[in-house]
Amino acid sequence: MAVADFVKSAGESFRVGWKIESNWTDPVLFATYQVIRPLASLLIVAFIVIIGASVGASANSAFYSQYLAWLIVGNAFYAFVLQIMLGMAILVHVDRTRYEVLKNIYISPGTLHPYVIGRGLVSVVNGAVSVILTLLFSVAIFNGLLHMNIPLNLLGVNLLMLFPGVILGIISLLAIGYMLCAVNIVSNRMEFILGDSVSGIFFLLGGVIFPIALLPSYVQPISNVLPITFLLNTVRESFGLLPTGDYMTDLAYLALTTLVTLIVGIAVFRLAEQRAKKLGLFDRKSEY
Amino acid sequence: MMLPKATPREELLTNLRAAYARMWVRLRGSNREVTGLVAEIGLPILTIGAYVILYRAIGLPPTAGAAVIIGGAMIAFWTNVLWNMSSQWFWERESGNLEMYLVAPVSRMSVLLGMAMGGSVNTSIRALGIVLLGIFVFQVPFQLADPLSVGLVFVLTLVALYTMGMLFASIFMLYGREAWNTASLLQEPVYFLSGAYFPRIYAPVVPFALQAAGSLIPMTIGLDAIRRLAINGEGVAAVWPHILALIACTLILFPLARRALNYMESLGKKEGRLTLRWQ
Repeated sequence: MAVADFVKSAGESFRVGWKIESNWTDPVLFATYQVIRPLASLLIVAFIVIIGASVGASANSAFYSQYLAWLIVGNAFYAFVLQIMLGMAILVHVDRTRYEVLKNIYISPGTLHPYVIGRGLVSVVNGAVSVILTLLFSVAIFNGLLHMNIPLNLLGVNLLMLFPGVILGIISLLAIGYMLCAVNIVSNRMEFILGDSVSGIFFLLGGVIFPIALLPSYVQPISNVLPITFLLNTVRESFGLLPTGDYMTDLAYLALTTLVTLIVGIAVFRLAEQRAKKLGLFDRKSEY
Repeated sequence: MMLPKATPREELLTNLRAAYARMWVRLRGSNREVTGLVAEIGLPILTIGAYVILYRAIGLPPTAGAAVIIGGAMIAFWTNVLWNMSSQWFWERESGNLEMYLVAPVSRMSVLLGMAMGGSVNTSIRALGIVLLGIFVFQVPFQLADPLSVGLVFVLTLVALYTMGMLFASIFMLYGREAWNTASLLQEPVYFLSGAYFPRIYAPVVPFALQAAGSLIPMTIGLDAIRRLAINGEGVAAVWPHILALIACTLILFPLARRALNYMESLGKKEGRLTLRWQ
């Protein structure tokens, strides 16, 4: 399939996905919905730290301010994980069982691949909106309303360091989302579990709300092969919340893990596609 | 020819049978798939684990870990209320069952009651699994001085919570894609407002407005009472206000749910939206 056709199909898929996800309400309410969930997640961890500081736990106030900034950035960018994992994990179920269009998409000349990519990009846009609004609200709430002087300068972010990390991270997350779609094509029992499971594992092992050094030593090797770990490291380095000396190493690891994830993602998807075709799973409808 | 009118006793029996039948479907449907059961116990442990490690990172005492385990278990009930109670009419309409419920000679409330009973039993099994697994994995201390009071508060919390679910089910009845989005929206904000992952919501450092907003959710009140009884080792005397508040929640929410259900059903009939799919 020519690249131009692939891009065109992915663009059309993006347009359909965007309409499905956003046109059930007006844009303001949609944006509100996009920000409330990640903001509430952020407030949970922020209040844990604030309560920790108030009961006079182990460290001084500078530690808590620094930690809160570290945590806000990690939590904000975790929105990409949530949006992509949850969006792509449910995609096959919705199109196959609810709207009953998966078989039509499969037999159309466009094939499933650009369709899945296009729909995944909708989750990326939703994630980006969540990240930006969460960061803005965090600064407004913690520094503006609560006067906590958290060292988080949104204007001082090094964009040249931020963008390569974020782009690679998104590619790796889309590749993982691709695998989730593949699993759902050949299964009809996992759609409500997969997205939460994978995002839950990343939340625990990816260094989202605490450094991975605090995990038990036998779990840390798993963290060290997850793209999310290096994505959050590069993002925090671009915000000046981690020493920038490790940036190139983290970016290299991120590129490597992304490449591996991409290869595995495509291979798994192709296998699932072949199996589904052989067993006639593209129009299987399941009800509970 | 007129059909003979059912006596109040016959009507009650029919409704109880409908509630039992709906409960049976829920129990059977949710427990036949082992992967689902394992995931529903194992998944919350991932999040709970992250928060327990965060507590340790900032130097909070181990009792904070116990609080988050109880919070994580109670969240299972909230998730069940949202996705299997509030959104249920939406799913039923999508799968074409709603019209069958509406033409059945039973009260819609008996169907909702069956869903609530089945859901609460199912989720209790999962919540117990979460607590036991949490205690085993994270080795956090509990101080259970008065198990009967814990049981009483727990039951009152569930009754109030599922009554709230009945009210939401009525409101969600006519939703299309909004049902999905609204249920998603009511997850994390309620986790935050209920203090499920904090050591305590009613702490001086938490702004009063947040505490007041959280108190509108029965889970917040019940969770605080259970933590006092099961972690701090306090007696029933410490949670009397909680018990009264939970009873008040149920007494207010139940008639509201009934009225809302009748109103939404009537509105749905007028607007022809009760059988509308793929909105």
